[in-house]
Amino acid sequence: MQTFSNASSGDIVLAMADRIVENRAYLSEIDGKIGDGDHGVNMAKGFGMAAERLKGKNVSFGQSLDTLGTVLMTEIGGSMGPLYGVMFTEFAEKLEGAEEIDAKAFSDMLHAGLAGVQSIGSAKVGDKTLLDTLSPAVEAFDAAIASGKSFADALEALVAASEQGRDSTIDLVAKIGRASRLGERSRGVLDAGATSCAIILKELSLGASGKLH
Amino acid sequence: MASAKKVAANKAGLAEGPDVMPLRYGDDPYVWACWLYYEEGRTQGEIAGIMGISRATVNSYLADARDRGIVKISLEPARLSSLSIAQELKRHFGLTDCLVVPSDDGSRALIDRLGSAGGQALAKLLKSGDTLAVAWGRTTLSIAENLSVSNLQDVTVVQATGGTRATFAYTPELCASTVATAIGARLVNITAPAIVSSVGVRSAILQEPLLEEQFAVLARANKALFGVSSLRPNSTIHTSGFFESVSIQDYLAKNAVGVVAGRFIDPHGHPVAGPLDERTIGISLDMLKNIATRIAVAGGFDKVPAILAALRGGYVNILVTDAATGRGILNADGVTEFDQKASQRSRSKETVQLPSNFRTHIKKFLNNPNDVVEEMLDGVTKAHAAYIQPVKGSNRSLVAKNGPRKGKVGLVIGGGTGHEPCFLGYVGKGLADAVAVGNIFSSPPPTPILECTKAASGGEGVLFVYGNYAGDVMNFEMAAEMAQDEKIEVRTVLTTDDIASSPIEDREGRRGVAGNVFVFKIAGAACDRGLSLAECEAVTRKANNRTFTMGVALEPCSLPQTRRHNFEIGPDDIEIGMGIHGERGVVRDQMMPADEITDRIMDRIFSEMKAVQGDRVAVLVNSFGATPLMELYILFRRVAQRLSAKDISIEANWVGHYCTSLDMVGASISILHLDSELSELLHHPCDAAFLRVR
Repeated sequence: MQTFSNASSGDIVLAMADRIVENRAYLSEIDGKIGDGDHGVNMAKGFGMAAERLKGKNVSFGQSLDTLGTVLMTEIGGSMGPLYGVMFTEFAEKLEGAEEIDAKAFSDMLHAGLAGVQSIGSAKVGDKTLLDTLSPAVEAFDAAIASGKSFADALEALVAASEQGRDSTIDLVAKIGRASRLGERSRGVLDAGATSCAIILKELSLGASGKLH
Repeated sequence: MASAKKVAANKAGLAEGPDVMPLRYGDDPYVWACWLYYEEGRTQGEIAGIMGISRATVNSYLADARDRGIVKISLEPARLSSLSIAQELKRHFGLTDCLVVPSDDGSRALIDRLGSAGGQALAKLLKSGDTLAVAWGRTTLSIAENLSVSNLQDVTVVQATGGTRATFAYTPELCASTVATAIGARLVNITAPAIVSSVGVRSAILQEPLLEEQFAVLARANKALFGVSSLRPNSTIHTSGFFESVSIQDYLAKNAVGVVAGRFIDPHGHPVAGPLDERTIGISLDMLKNIATRIAVAGGFDKVPAILAALRGGYVNILVTDAATGRGILNADGVTEFDQKASQRSRSKETVQLPSNFRTHIKKFLNNPNDVVEEMLDGVTKAHAAYIQPVKGSNRSLVAKNGPRKGKVGLVIGGGTGHEPCFLGYVGKGLADAVAVGNIFSSPPPTPILECTKAASGGEGVLFVYGNYAGDVMNFEMAAEMAQDEKIEVRTVLTTDDIASSPIEDREGRRGVAGNVFVFKIAGAACDRGLSLAECEAVTRKANNRTFTMGVALEPCSLPQTRRHNFEIGPDDIEIGMGIHGERGVVRDQMMPADEITDRIMDRIFSEMKAVQGDRVAVLVNSFGATPLMELYILFRRVAQRLSAKDISIEANWVGHYCTSLDMVGASISILHLDSELSELLHHPCDAAFLRVR
């Protein structure tokens, strides 16, 4: 059975932070079409701050997720800070005590994060939010495992579903958050939160996949 | 006579123009327009005349010509390459700006080229009133020698480190004084050696009033100019004699790779502790990091590891270097490929024809849109220093100078910015004790809210009062939990005065808007009178339940980061019930007279407020930002008429900008339905930057 080591996988979180920081301008640009245009700046600030604290420390995957979640939750504000903050701290809590992470533990982690986001936000799938990326991604991972696919293949399915979910927001009308005031005008544009979520899930999966043994 | 001739000539030209396209252009008007524009250097207006088409069409011909490949605009390759490197450095290290000098053409020494580029950059960056800290080095002196700015006022140049008795040309004293002379600035030297013989001598010297004054100027610096020194064997650090070579060996042994403003750093940019630290008189790395604009000018391949370390450490936010060094830094940090063509990406295909006076962006007073909130807060804390001060040096938590006291319930308010004077204008004696400040239309995170809570706490608990928005609720609730962990009891009242935001059955779900000023006033008075936490909470809740607000938007607002409208309203439409972030109202309607708009609002308010003859109210007529007082008084006039007709008396009224929505055109009307308790608290004295009751 494929697993990856919790202790030696903290660098996945650093890579995730790198991707978010790299996409700062892009995320702000899409946010600017139907929002305030600050999503990239805020995300890059939070992930950058977390990376700053983690660099050179050589901490585990779980601990890194906890640091990231705590920074986002306590120092970013808005809605994205608490929402992503809760997702990562829930991820971290599920991994506590795990030495090797198998598909089951990974799925439990994803579900905990999803439940956390749903518990503090009031969005549903189809409301043009990050849930449109996160929710189908989690389902696709579970479905792949249930049908007997390997951990690595299931991670691929997760990435594909998250990207499909992200793209689905183009045709959606925002029901929640600040873009919702635009009603029909929000159609035709990607949701910035769904886009950053796809970046996060992709890096998470690629990182985990590269460490499977 | 001459002008008459010109008109005649133009007329003749026009008569010929539209019908006859010169044969040499084939039948392609794009080629014709391009020839006139690029080869003959004519303006778009002239071309419109010659071709007999509108100026907008000329504009779109020229734009399309690039997409069709008729015109190719290219940058000279060396310049393009340096631009791409600069762009990638800026992106990769999150710099504010970056200037890269094109690769060496062999005619001038690198130090001269960096000096002149640094001089240009500095000339652009310096503003009147700045305090510039200047470090020392060959590059720094070269910049100083290439610098000339004549139109600045009140600039101070302060030497960033002490002096030296070593005999090289680019001493700290000379670097600072040359810069000061070049820009006509006041010069403040640090009149002590950069490195003294012992720790004891250093602390003694730093206690001298003269040195204290000089360091106070250094601590005020808002810009810094410095080089980055390598620690390679033949670098100036070794040859200058500035540092004792024994000490340098010690730092090298601890993996130091560079020196920034006289301080040693490792490859990650972390400070390296060593024998000179406690004997050095000059700017510390922490002081440097606190300076808003940190300009480093450095180049040369041997400096790559040192510059990279300085970038990683966050000591630099504006970098001036050369192309080879820039590429080396990027390669060393793992960036091997980057988009050479970034600046040449083809423009959007959908060029829609727009009238020539069409605006896509709103004009605003901005420097860097990403700094709007920080710059505003900088101004706010200076303007209202009599009322508020930052908590632990952060403008995101502001505490009343004369507010919190032992035995009093603390009042903490807060929310996003863009609503000024909400919320920071209501912090002061008898009002809120502290305010947590978020980004534009975006809740502050829990940390500043917690800092406010601690600052406001007088041992009797703290009351949170803020608007009912998802983001604010999440962040304030987290802060409340954190405060409980620190043994501060917190109670919360969410303001829900916007009667348009949801029906009466869902009163709890309504948003908080301008009426929250009334709620703050009542809560502040209750706290100031020494009521218990439970009593403060109860009366604040009552004030919220008896406050009714409705707004009308005539035009949308525009956000600093996009400078575009955040929603659209038709030319003849208004939106009744609009929220303070542009949330949807109850109905879009045709523009109508002011009295009719007021009546629509007052009818809704009367339907909820069970007021009877003889009751008393407080009235707030609030501008959303761009609506002038003139119109607010027209609205107030009608509000007063309607109240008087019901024999309801106005006990207090406020008309003006109390809770805005950036530059939205529109207004809101809030009514607080008083009872004797609320009336007494409303008249309780308070003194804040934007609300005073005597």
